[in-house]
Amino acid sequence: MFLFFFWFCTETCSDSLPQQDPLRFVMNLERLPNEEKLCLCRKYYLAGFALLPFLWLVNVVWFFREAFVKPAYTEQSQIKTYVKRSGMGLLFWVAVLTTWITIFQHFRAEWGAMGDYLSFTIPLGIP
Amino acid sequence: MSTLPVVFSLSAPRTRKMDLPSNKWIVHLLVCCFVVGVNCNSVDKKIYVKLNYTVSCVRLLNATHQIGCQSSLSGNVGVLHVLESEDNLDWVLSSGPNPPYMVILESPLFTRSVMMKLKSGSSRVAGVAVVAPNTNPAGAFSPHTTCPNENSGVYSETYDPAMANCNKTVWNPLGNGLSYEEFDFPIFSLKDDNDTQVIRQCYLDHNRAVNGSRPRYPLCAMQLYSLMFAVTDTATCMRRNDINLSINPEMVCDPLGDYNVWASTRPLNNTAKGHKMWESAVVAAARLDSRSFFFDIAPGAQSGVSGFVALLAAAHALRDVVQEAPPNRTILYTFFQGETFDYIGSSRMVYDMENNQFAVDLDNIHSVLEVGQVGLRNDSKLWLHTDPVSRRNDSVNKEVEDLIANLRLAATNLSVTPEVPTASQPLPPSSFQRFLRARPIPGVVLEDHQSAFTSRFYESMYDNAEYLNVSYPPNLTPEEQLRFVTESAKALTEVATLVARALYRQAGGAETQLVNINADSQTVTQMLYGFLVRTNNSWFQQLIPSDFMSHLTNRPPNLYVGAVQQSSEPTVLVQFLMANLTGSTVNVTQENCQNQREDENDKESRHMYIYMWVQGAVPPNSTQRQGFCVRSTARLSKAVSPAFDLREFTSKDYSTWTESRWKPISGRIFLVASHELEMLTLGVGVGVLLTSLLLTYVISAKADILFSSGREPTNATY
Repeated sequence: MFLFFFWFCTETCSDSLPQQDPLRFVMNLERLPNEEKLCLCRKYYLAGFALLPFLWLVNVVWFFREAFVKPAYTEQSQIKTYVKRSGMGLLFWVAVLTTWITIFQHFRAEWGAMGDYLSFTIPLGIP
Repeated sequence: MSTLPVVFSLSAPRTRKMDLPSNKWIVHLLVCCFVVGVNCNSVDKKIYVKLNYTVSCVRLLNATHQIGCQSSLSGNVGVLHVLESEDNLDWVLSSGPNPPYMVILESPLFTRSVMMKLKSGSSRVAGVAVVAPNTNPAGAFSPHTTCPNENSGVYSETYDPAMANCNKTVWNPLGNGLSYEEFDFPIFSLKDDNDTQVIRQCYLDHNRAVNGSRPRYPLCAMQLYSLMFAVTDTATCMRRNDINLSINPEMVCDPLGDYNVWASTRPLNNTAKGHKMWESAVVAAARLDSRSFFFDIAPGAQSGVSGFVALLAAAHALRDVVQEAPPNRTILYTFFQGETFDYIGSSRMVYDMENNQFAVDLDNIHSVLEVGQVGLRNDSKLWLHTDPVSRRNDSVNKEVEDLIANLRLAATNLSVTPEVPTASQPLPPSSFQRFLRARPIPGVVLEDHQSAFTSRFYESMYDNAEYLNVSYPPNLTPEEQLRFVTESAKALTEVATLVARALYRQAGGAETQLVNINADSQTVTQMLYGFLVRTNNSWFQQLIPSDFMSHLTNRPPNLYVGAVQQSSEPTVLVQFLMANLTGSTVNVTQENCQNQREDENDKESRHMYIYMWVQGAVPPNSTQRQGFCVRSTARLSKAVSPAFDLREFTSKDYSTWTESRWKPISGRIFLVASHELEMLTLGVGVGVLLTSLLLTYVISAKADILFSSGREPTNATY
């Protein structure tokens, strides 16, 4: 696991860009070549498995236009799969978190000691 | 536009000099306006009128319940309604058009039935404010339960089921139990003065429904804020005290407790705890505390002050005799704090005695004489209550009979007549019950009532000087009032003399000495003045160390035991009084005195005595007080329930009372507008915002068209 993260962080997507470029992270995908877009999309997809659903959200929002709106290019099908899978993962996380949050907010008072041990901030004055 | 600075720099220097004076004039003008014309007008003050005097009921918790009042996180806001009669409750609970209501109750309406109805309709009730009258009401009002401390005394199912839960005698029949109910709205107490008149006038001006018509907006409203942090019960709040992961951990509740005061006629080695060989002690007990429905008012005249003042006077009366003709047994004077809340002080002392944490052991105790409520004897009788269950044992019965005989003997030539109530009647709520829970010790509790309490205001805010008839002739200065011996002081002096003589006899003293034991009515009346009228008087000022002066106030002390961290007013005062009344002045320097020694090499005295440097009186020809050192045996011992040391927060054996913490309690009144007006204002504001956004967008989109005029001609000249 640790080795995986180590490899992940050291590999960059933008090998082709000159080293002097200060703006390694660009928000505007227009100027990136397609291989780098694919690389970025895959990176975000894989990183999201480390319990980081927001990365999948970013993946979906950022690459949506690339994957579904732009005219087809070679890497687009792979980007499309990554975006779809990120979307599914995101939906799964949303479902799990919503369920847990609803249950916790509803039943925390009844759980007594367990509810208090699970809470970070206990509200004052109400059970 | 860009040519303007160029023109300026090319002009003659004359014009530049003209700029500086005009700048200076502007600055001067601004400064003058600032100093003279500025008038701070706070919008807050124009809207809200703050309540100056806020006394509210607070939340207390024990092992199973929470009692008291709670407000919401931002304070409860309600439209004012002054309740005219109990039938008028209908307006508040069902027919009034602008719920929730903030109900103002005059004191005759502050009854259980009104409060229970308000509690049941609490969705429409935002809070209650009770106007406390300036004189005591004619009827009875006791917010305590009918059977005080029923689960923590000695009478339980195992001890004697016939006497448990007040089956035999209901001690406080006038009690309505309001103090032990839970309300989810705040309840405040207001004094009947000008501020309250403002509130009533506000109601009459704005809120009064005339001839059944709906009162029109704006209406007068009040906001009461008393958020209590703790909920559910003691175990929950103590757990939440401990957990606290967040950035600033907040304590949620505190255990109730303070200190007991104890002293002995023969010095006992306080460092060597546990059983003392050949020591036999007669315990003389009294209670120090009281409570009322509201947090900060607990005058406790009959329920607390009468008892401990009588015992203090008795101790003073015995001072000389026990030095000259010491009796066989030691007399141990104990003043218990926290007895209202399931016997916190006495249960702790018995626990310490059982676990060798106190100077003596339970085996060292020979008998107990407790002074209960003795302030309201309407005839000359004083009732000697005993425990019938322990008296079934012959040896205990004999000892109790001896004690009763000593009391009768002590009452000869006094105007007090000791009487024994029915033999099968159980003990009233008293600290002695906790001693009996440990082992069957012979003892008597002195009270002024034969069976049920005669007090109409048991544990209420009306149990004050007026109720004990401590009244002074008009036009006396405070100093003269302090010295004036009232009738109730004389009556209490008789009781004190009886107690002193009985204690001396019980401790094995000679009968011939009894005539020399007399309580001093001057001392009694001064103590009554100090504890019932004001603590800041010249006599108390002489008896305390100088750093305690700031704690004396111009009103009677509050006898509520309070949280552990908060020291209760009467405890330390009683300790200083005990020290001065039973101790002796010794010729010791101030430094040695404050270091608990007689001279530099003395290491032993601190175990037996306690030394206090008191500030003394002001001699007539100077302004500097002459302090002196008092050596006595008057000590403090911790009075926190053993349940908190043992961490058994659901204990049934010991008191588990805790007090919630809260944010500063406040209240204010203001006018509220109708809901429709508020929504309209909000709507207009949102509309203005959207319009301005739209306008800005449109203008910035067409900026080149709107702002292009005037450019071309300037360019053309160049």
